Amino acid sequence: MNRRSFHMAPKLSKIFPESCLLIFVGVLIGALLLSTHSVHVQPLTPDTFFLYMLPPIILDAGYFMPNRLFFDHLGTILLFAVVGTVFNTLTIGLSLWACGQTGMFAFQTPLLDMLLFGALISAVDPVAVLAVFEEIHVDEILYIVVFGESLLNDAVTVVLYHMFEAYTEMGPSKLVYTDFLAGFGSFIVVAFGGTCIGVIWGFATGLVTRFTHEVRVIEPIFIFVMAYLAYLNAEMFHMSGILAITFCGITMKNYVEANISHKSHTTIKYTMKMLSSSSETIIFMFLGVATVNNNHVWNTWFVLLTIVFCSVFRIIGVYILSAVANKFRLHKLKTVEKFVMSYGGLRGAVAFALVLLIDPKVVKLQPMFVTTTIAVIYFTVFIQGITIKPLVKILNVKTVEKRKPTMNERIHERFMDHLMAGIEDILGKHGNHHIRDKFKRFDNRFIRPFLLRNYQGAEPKILETYSKLAMRDAIEYMQRNASTIGNISGAESMSAIFKNYTNANLNGSPSFSQLDSSTWNIDMQELEYNPSKKDLTDARIHHLLAEELCKPYRRHRRLSYSRHAVNDKDLGMQVNYKTHMNIRRLVGDRKHHHKRSKRGKQDGKNHVSFPEFQQNGSAKQFTHDYIDEVLQEDDEVPRRENDDGGITFTAKSPPGYKEISPTSSHKENSSSLLNQLANLPGFNPLKARIVKQYAKTPEEILPTAVEKSLPWRRDRSTYNFVPNEDILEEDERRMSDDNDTYMTVAEQARVATPTATETMLPWKRDDIEGSGALKQSEFPAWASNKEYLAYSSPSATFLGGIEKPKHPKSIIGLFRRESSGSTQGGGEVIMSDSEGKADSLMGESSSKGESSTGPKLGPSLLSKRSTSLGGPTVLLMEDVAHSDPLGASSRPASIMQGPHRGQCRRGSMLELTGSLSRSAITEEKCSKSLPESERMGVRRLALGQQSLPRDTFSRQHTLTSNLTSSSSDDSSDENT
Amino acid sequence: MRDDKSTQEITAADTDNELVYWLTTCLNRYTAETNSSRSYTSYTQGRNTMGNKSSLLLREEEIAQIQEETGFTPNQIERLYSRFTALDKNDCGTLSREDFLRIPELAINPLSERIVSAFFAESHDDRVNFLQFMRVLAHFRPIRKNRENKLNSREDKLRFAFSMYDLDNDGKISRDELLAILHMMVGVNISEEQLSSIAERTIIEADTNNDQMISFEEFAHALERTDVEQKMSIRFLN
Repeated sequence: MNRRSFHMAPKLSKIFPESCLLIFVGVLIGALLLSTHSVHVQPLTPDTFFLYMLPPIILDAGYFMPNRLFFDHLGTILLFAVVGTVFNTLTIGLSLWACGQTGMFAFQTPLLDMLLFGALISAVDPVAVLAVFEEIHVDEILYIVVFGESLLNDAVTVVLYHMFEAYTEMGPSKLVYTDFLAGFGSFIVVAFGGTCIGVIWGFATGLVTRFTHEVRVIEPIFIFVMAYLAYLNAEMFHMSGILAITFCGITMKNYVEANISHKSHTTIKYTMKMLSSSSETIIFMFLGVATVNNNHVWNTWFVLLTIVFCSVFRIIGVYILSAVANKFRLHKLKTVEKFVMSYGGLRGAVAFALVLLIDPKVVKLQPMFVTTTIAVIYFTVFIQGITIKPLVKILNVKTVEKRKPTMNERIHERFMDHLMAGIEDILGKHGNHHIRDKFKRFDNRFIRPFLLRNYQGAEPKILETYSKLAMRDAIEYMQRNASTIGNISGAESMSAIFKNYTNANLNGSPSFSQLDSSTWNIDMQELEYNPSKKDLTDARIHHLLAEELCKPYRRHRRLSYSRHAVNDKDLGMQVNYKTHMNIRRLVGDRKHHHKRSKRGKQDGKNHVSFPEFQQNGSAKQFTHDYIDEVLQEDDEVPRRENDDGGITFTAKSPPGYKEISPTSSHKENSSSLLNQLANLPGFNPLKARIVKQYAKTPEEILPTAVEKSLPWRRDRSTYNFVPNEDILEEDERRMSDDNDTYMTVAEQARVATPTATETMLPWKRDDIEGSGALKQSEFPAWASNKEYLAYSSPSATFLGGIEKPKHPKSIIGLFRRESSGSTQGGGEVIMSDSEGKADSLMGESSSKGESSTGPKLGPSLLSKRSTSLGGPTVLLMEDVAHSDPLGASSRPASIMQGPHRGQCRRGSMLELTGSLSRSAITEEKCSKSLPESERMGVRRLALGQQSLPRDTFSRQHTLTSNLTSSSSDDSSDENT
Repeated sequence: MRDDKSTQEITAADTDNELVYWLTTCLNRYTAETNSSRSYTSYTQGRNTMGNKSSLLLREEEIAQIQEETGFTPNQIERLYSRFTALDKNDCGTLSREDFLRIPELAINPLSERIVSAFFAESHDDRVNFLQFMRVLAHFRPIRKNRENKLNSREDKLRFAFSMYDLDNDGKISRDELLAILHMMVGVNISEEQLSSIAERTIIEADTNNDQMISFEEFAHALERTDVEQKMSIRFLN
């Protein structure tokens, strides 16, 4: 709380380091307690401090220690930590003793007591250093040297302290030289013993976490408990606990991080930070509280001299030692850095705890030591702590901002490491790189495979960086596109769909809807763009539906409480639930409408089976509801056909429908006639259905963009055909029929060339062959929409069956092959009205399927062009009087058998494979070069149509099929 | 040293009371010592000659030339030359690839092939002479302020690293070249797709002109926050 409040007072915290403010608050509290005489406790006992307060801070420091940096500068750090501390201890102790000899302190200053005091006062305190240095963000090298020193000098301090304490107890007279040797020996033992214990525990932690993947919850516990055990273990053997827990943290980090889950990692991180900062807070506050008592023995000279000696010898020590270190360092410590290092030598709670440990009975001066220690701490923390920040700024010390390494930095730096290691080897020099390289090899070869669950090659850091960056990219992408998706789904597509749909239903006539249509857009880009978004949205919704709606809603509540299991999905489920409900509502509406529309019509198939959804989504459909009108519009239609050289097909869209221009370029023109023919009928019905069910069908149908956006779709060629329907009802009827055919066609195409989707999405592969024509017929038209097809929906019943129109008036569809890859792709399909029929030069196009479907297929000009383009072009025309073209085509019997079969067939496909084209690709390219003017012309026509919306009803279906191999083309030709 | 010893002997002898006898013996011992030390000196000289056989070949002007060209001090040059000859098992004054790869640690360095190749960049006959050897090493001299830095400026260091990526010397790191390096460094435990996606990600990240390659400028830019001077320097002993 205090901490927080300090941060809330920005000015204060700008001037004072946190530690100062905490001490200040502690003093206030202490004064309060003292004045009320209520509490007479010594809050900060050495035991509390060393057993509970210190370990979290040190563990935090060790665990988040930048290893590389630490070991790169280990030599310097050790020099300062060991030699520097000893130097400070001796000089401070001796100086104070010398001053004591002059009698200025007015009391006896035994040498050993002074040295003892020197030992505890000379150590730089990790807590204070952390507290201050974390706020000033100095250069990392500077930071690591000071901080590393403060961590590692613990061993020295503790050893020296105990040594002098023991000497003091023994008394100077009994000391022999062996005791000093023993002291030196004990330092080695304490330091290395602590380090070894820490490292061993670190490895043990790594090993344990290797097996915790079943119980993620306890992973953090192991980290903390085992680190603490290392600390206790070291203390137990009178080793340096601080060293032990530091190295435990340093060691375990490498292996634990690779084993634990991401959430555990987060938990550990925050828990550790929380514990250490709580400890730090408490320590500084208790320091303040402990200040206020009645036991102070103040000796001005002693305090002053101690402070002076501490500062002076610190500076001298740093300068001497850094001069030594610079002889061996690549990066020379500069004067400014030396200054910061000496100035950053803060004393802190460790000294305080140690001084409290002194037994007053042995050392008579203990109360004065306590007072002096507090004074020194205050001096360093307040004076130095406050001034170091401005000083760093004034002296222009290099500061760093924290950031994550980029991929390039990771890789190239790693590269440089190897390079330097290699160069060192060539030079026969055993430097840092050499040693690190050796350790890494050893680590990778023996330790990591043993400690890690998923041993991931030699460069985990590169992978880690990569996955982090990839994750970030993904999140950014989602954030960028989320709005788009949301908007589309919410505002445009869904509402538009419903509105249109409702209109259509109410009026019962397509004309009404046409009036509403505000958009008659032929612009290819625009068309692509809008539909794609809608398509995506719809697909998404459909996906959700498939995932959630069709299954009985399950409550995601945990049935039993488990301490060791966390249900990570809880959050996600809630979200899903919400969407789920919304979608449910939407779907309910849809269904409702659909039923309404269906009523009064004979419906053979209410049944939607799952496999249908698995049908290729490649086909894109464009539908117009009004066939009759289309027929009337002959004039306009021909124009369009003329334009077909242009890329886009134009379709009049009933109100609310947007035109879709398939800007498809066929990647592969070689599609078999059979497939195309088969596809044609199927597509028409789909469209019709789609139109019915969703007034917005066109939008949905415009799949090209989708195809582009979805790589797996690209392989297919897309056929667009535009059927015209006179009446919605009729459409619906037809749709059922069409569906059947469509599905079958799609299937065929699929079988011939497994779609990319299938290859990409394993779950789609199931029923490719199994889904017969019958099954397909069962699907609702919209279900067979490509976008939806991208997902398999488990829902069994979306739509009821649809009646077939007995006499479809006329449908003129043009199937155009689209190549999803390029907008301007070669073959293009243009909607053609009855004119198309008149013009139909099917024969010219030399498509073989034509003969069968002959009368209906007719956009001659277009077909010619398309053929000339080489792309397989299919024109689907639906004739009013037309009989099922499927029969003509070599459709599988199963399809034919479909109940709706005979009547359904309004549309026939013309394939204009032209020369069929193996040269298709080149031709496509030619087609790309088709003049814009043609397209523009198409657009104009379309606009003209828009002005007379009622007149024109066209359906456009775009079928995409993959015709990947020329061989398939040949076979198809043969079939036809 | 010799003189010290002899004086010590003499003083030792002086302290002895039996003057004459001891004096003579001392003198004898002195001469003996002198002789032995002389022989020792000559022995060491001989060894020096043998060990530095090639160092004798390294004439003053050669050292001066190398110093001029690479910025190494004569001491460093001598030291590196002894290393050079130590590597040169055939005593032919040049190093072959095998000579390099005979270094055990280098042989298992994942990038050993590239590192060694870097030494052979200038040679045409697959041998590296001492001057070429030194030129390559000069890239790794630490940068000293107030002194001229030949071959070891930041850009030189970067160029050196860059050229190790750029196998085909077209001035750009292609995806395949980066992938090759990744292969060497990361090893076999990683799937090909992962590696290639890493490579692609890396290129995209650094690629500013969208040519799917990393040019040197892009390379330098990507590393502009890296302490290259530090990372690509070695403390050469004097």
